Amino acid sequence: MSSTVAPAGTLSFPRLKSPGVRRFVYGVAGLLVMLVIWQIGTLLLHLDPGTRTFTTFGPIPTFEAFPVLWEEGKIQSAVAASGYRLAVGLFIAIAIGVPIGILMGRSKKFRELSNSPFQFLRMISPLSWMPLAVIVYTQWDQAIIFLIAIASIWPVAFATAAGLAKVDPAWFKVARNLGARPMHMLTRVILPAIAFDVFTGIRLALGVAWIVLVPAELLGVTSGLGYAIKDARETLSYNHLTAMVLVIGAIGYLLDSVCVQLIKRYSWHYSGQ
Amino acid sequence: MSTDAVGARAASAEANVSLHFMMSTAQGAFNFFAGLAILFGLWWAGVHLVVALDPSMTLFSGFGPVPAFRAIPTLWEEGVIQGAVWASGYRLGAGLLIAIAIGFPIGILMGRSRTFRELSNSPFQFLRMISPLSWEPIAVIVFAGWEQAIVFLIAIAAVWPVAFATAAGLAKVDPAWIKVARNLGARPRHILVQIIVPAIMFDFLTGIRLAIGVAWIVLVPAEFFGVRSGLGYAIEDARESISYDNLMAMVLIIGAIGYVLDTMTVRLIKRYSWHREG
Repeated sequence: MSSTVAPAGTLSFPRLKSPGVRRFVYGVAGLLVMLVIWQIGTLLLHLDPGTRTFTTFGPIPTFEAFPVLWEEGKIQSAVAASGYRLAVGLFIAIAIGVPIGILMGRSKKFRELSNSPFQFLRMISPLSWMPLAVIVYTQWDQAIIFLIAIASIWPVAFATAAGLAKVDPAWFKVARNLGARPMHMLTRVILPAIAFDVFTGIRLALGVAWIVLVPAELLGVTSGLGYAIKDARETLSYNHLTAMVLVIGAIGYLLDSVCVQLIKRYSWHYSGQ
Repeated sequence: MSTDAVGARAASAEANVSLHFMMSTAQGAFNFFAGLAILFGLWWAGVHLVVALDPSMTLFSGFGPVPAFRAIPTLWEEGVIQGAVWASGYRLGAGLLIAIAIGFPIGILMGRSRTFRELSNSPFQFLRMISPLSWEPIAVIVFAGWEQAIVFLIAIAAVWPVAFATAAGLAKVDPAWIKVARNLGARPRHILVQIIVPAIMFDFLTGIRLAIGVAWIVLVPAEFFGVRSGLGYAIEDARESISYDNLMAMVLIIGAIGYVLDTMTVRLIKRYSWHREG
């Protein structure tokens, strides 16, 4: 299909026939719309003399703050500190959550007995563990990592169990017939089968960890994204504040997109019965 | 198969189901309490292990289950629990209501209008991934008081699951149903109430469940600062007055309330669950 030929005197755009192009164009357009709405809000703030000081929350001061923050190294150090805590916390959540999930999938007794305590522990708002974590762990970094881990472990465990429920018992019989040892069962049958659900669980875990990370860094540490926000607020650098908020959004979006790509990569379906 | 045989099959199946249900609830009840008993046993063992291994941490025994359970009646009599639950409940309820009031229409818009869905996708995905507590400094400035700021934080965190789940539910509505309904003389009002709302209820309630989960995470840290009521404040207060038994008691209460909220929502979801036949 070629682009439409315009009658003389009129403008016409080539059809956005490629879905990738369409998605990209609409994606950029959507962000531009958001920017415009943001700028309109800032102009409204400017009109009222009482709120004029808050125009530093606007998009232009915010974008002007980026080079400044980058040169001062504030963005890099905040991202590095938060990234370290997030990564270690998620790693622990996966290292403990996946085995627990596999146990829940394989053992009915374990699943039935662990259901009520896990559901109860899962619904304890993660930051409630903060005072306990601060006393148990000597360093704030460890306390924050603990909070992230305890919040993230549940989505990973439950998603892994759900993935295991999709594993056909016949596959184990076939594998055993072909001489598979338990190790082979794990690496050749179980792990590829549950990868899709595990990554879905990791995506959910990332979402929860991302919510927990910022407030955990508002108390007691002097590095990280949450601290950067608090610091900007205390120095009344509102444009620095909004710049950090944008950084947080962008990184969160990136991490989530990576998870979505992994999920798509390991997605599988039963072929028609 | 004759109707008698089908009826007999159905009746015996029903009897089996009710016996099964009875046995499963007795079994279920046993598992429920046994599981929690094991949890509290491990808790007790953990605390004693820490105290035994490190004698300098004798204060740590205040974190155990026995002091925590002992503290609950005291806190109840002092009205601490009721006050905290009431204050937090108000903020949670108000925040969720706003999230639904805004998220539901947005979800419907996303489901009905392709242009809106495609344009709003990137800004929504971006805004969704801004950790909700990052809005706190801005919220405190924009809203006159901390109460409203906390409600805003809960709303901004909870609006996304509601909106996306509503849109997903709308995608499952078969356009043929609407044609059939219109053929049978349904007005737009009927189509909305008799077709669309029941069809999307399952996904909408799943979105509410996710929204409650997110709101529950956001609520406690939001109440660490600026307010003198609520579950988060109660935890901070107990920590500052070194009343570890009160602290663990409040942790238990938070877990219990969260569990009840989630279980009630799951019941609602099961009630409105439906599948395509065939």
